[in-house]
Amino acid sequence: MIRHCLFMTLGLILSMPVTASSDDPLNSPLWNYMREQFIGTDSYQFDDRVRVVVPEFAEDPTQVPITVDARELAGQIERIIVWADLNPIQHIFTYYPHQAIVPHISLRIKVQQGTAVRAAVLTDKGRWHLGGSYLDAAGGGCTTPSAAAADPYWESHLGEFQSRFFPRSEGGRYKFRVIHPMDTGLVNAIPEFYIEQVVIRSASGNDLARMELSPPVSENPVITFDVREPDKKHSIWLRDNGGNEFEQAL
Amino acid sequence: MLFRMILLIALTTGLQSAVSAGPLSYELNAEQVAPGTWVVQGKLEDFSSLNGGNIVNTGFIVTDDGVVVIDTGPSRRYGEALRKLISTLTDQPVRLVFNTHHHPDHFLGNQAFSDVGIQALPITREQIALHGNAFAENMYRLVGDWMRSTEVVLPSENASEPLIELGDHRIRLLRFTGHSGADLVLFDESTGVLFASDMVFYQRALTTPHTPGIPVWLGELERIRDITFSVLVPGHGPVVSDGRALDQMQAYLRWLDNTLTESARSGLTMTEVIALPVPQQFQEIALTKSEFSRSVAHLYPAYEARFF
Repeated sequence: MIRHCLFMTLGLILSMPVTASSDDPLNSPLWNYMREQFIGTDSYQFDDRVRVVVPEFAEDPTQVPITVDARELAGQIERIIVWADLNPIQHIFTYYPHQAIVPHISLRIKVQQGTAVRAAVLTDKGRWHLGGSYLDAAGGGCTTPSAAAADPYWESHLGEFQSRFFPRSEGGRYKFRVIHPMDTGLVNAIPEFYIEQVVIRSASGNDLARMELSPPVSENPVITFDVREPDKKHSIWLRDNGGNEFEQAL
Repeated sequence: MLFRMILLIALTTGLQSAVSAGPLSYELNAEQVAPGTWVVQGKLEDFSSLNGGNIVNTGFIVTDDGVVVIDTGPSRRYGEALRKLISTLTDQPVRLVFNTHHHPDHFLGNQAFSDVGIQALPITREQIALHGNAFAENMYRLVGDWMRSTEVVLPSENASEPLIELGDHRIRLLRFTGHSGADLVLFDESTGVLFASDMVFYQRALTTPHTPGIPVWLGELERIRDITFSVLVPGHGPVVSDGRALDQMQAYLRWLDNTLTESARSGLTMTEVIALPVPQQFQEIALTKSEFSRSVAHLYPAYEARFF
């Protein structure tokens, strides 16, 4: 009995500071607040089928590769919101994939310190499915000046676009890179300047997918996404917060 | 049972505080690899608060006209321990110190040698002036109290002479770029000992944060292979007397170059490349998996750019 009590007391002491009033598998101190910010009071569940893949350590905190993979989730996906709990700007991107798009997307992000990186996936059943991973980092990614701040190259190449199609065993993959400083506004005397909207369109002009980006997406974004039908002619349209629009065939 | 547990807790807590309060000591040992030539081998590990950053090979050559020191280690404490170790093996004064390149484990012990001329390649001097403090800060974060009182001391002189003659040692200075953009390799013609700096790693995965590119590094390794050395001292890992360290380097770099090229050609994302398996032949190399992951972060964007 004494032994049990001791264990219970120990257990309580150990668990109290971290897990009190939280069901978060990543034990993030901002979980409840972030959840309210991004999905409000909607119903949700933690779901291993939503995978957020991050490296063990953010070798370069201004260019951390992440992949969000919700392919195992049944039902049509309405929206994917991705954020980092402890970034000064938490929101990274929101993705609205059409049926023709495979819910599997990769890009690089900035992180300011070690943080939970999460994806909340809303299906047409009206419920959020949450996945996430802890990303370890030395930090500083959001308050480091972009390379563009020291090099005027971007001024004459803003919005320049490179893309390539890669056939996959099923469907296909697009990878594109666009020249943009993606300034966070958190560096002294460098205002916020970033691509806000990305729209992928079919040959007939219908929207296949839409993305809303925030400044934690890395400078000169490289974005990789998969499509179910590789033979369609797609194009991409971008707009930054300065009102510059760019359109390009993929 | 209760008492036993309390005892256990007390013991563990006591032990922990004893460990953290104990004096941090590198316990450096010098291994003689040729007449008058000594190597202090570091651990095959990553920087940690347990090893104090002692993951690097330093060395020194005792001549009749003073001692030549090759790299000063990761901290003031290391530099002081190295100098003390040298003084237990010779009465000769330290005459000349080299920093082979600008990575923190090779120059942050400079404080212990600040009364002596410290030489480095001109680009290395610029790189240390530019990044030295950031490196030092990062080392404090990684290894903690071992770094106490460590400050950046810039190399004071250019390593510009092609040949240095001290006592009966003729030491040739060779310039390379493959590992860090400016890599100084020292070849002692009188003993045949080649201090290869971080141009060569052996049994410890190589690092790539400032390489000008794998093809450059591979090309320069061919030039190093042309040197008829009797002993090769890698920047990290055990000393060898044959070409096996060079063989391992070249095999790994070729595999890395090929893997990154083929991954970019088939459209893999960085996440997918990091998850690729490392071949069996490289798995005996310490830290292969984590250094591969780092190298992907350093190098893959340039490979990707070739396939847009």
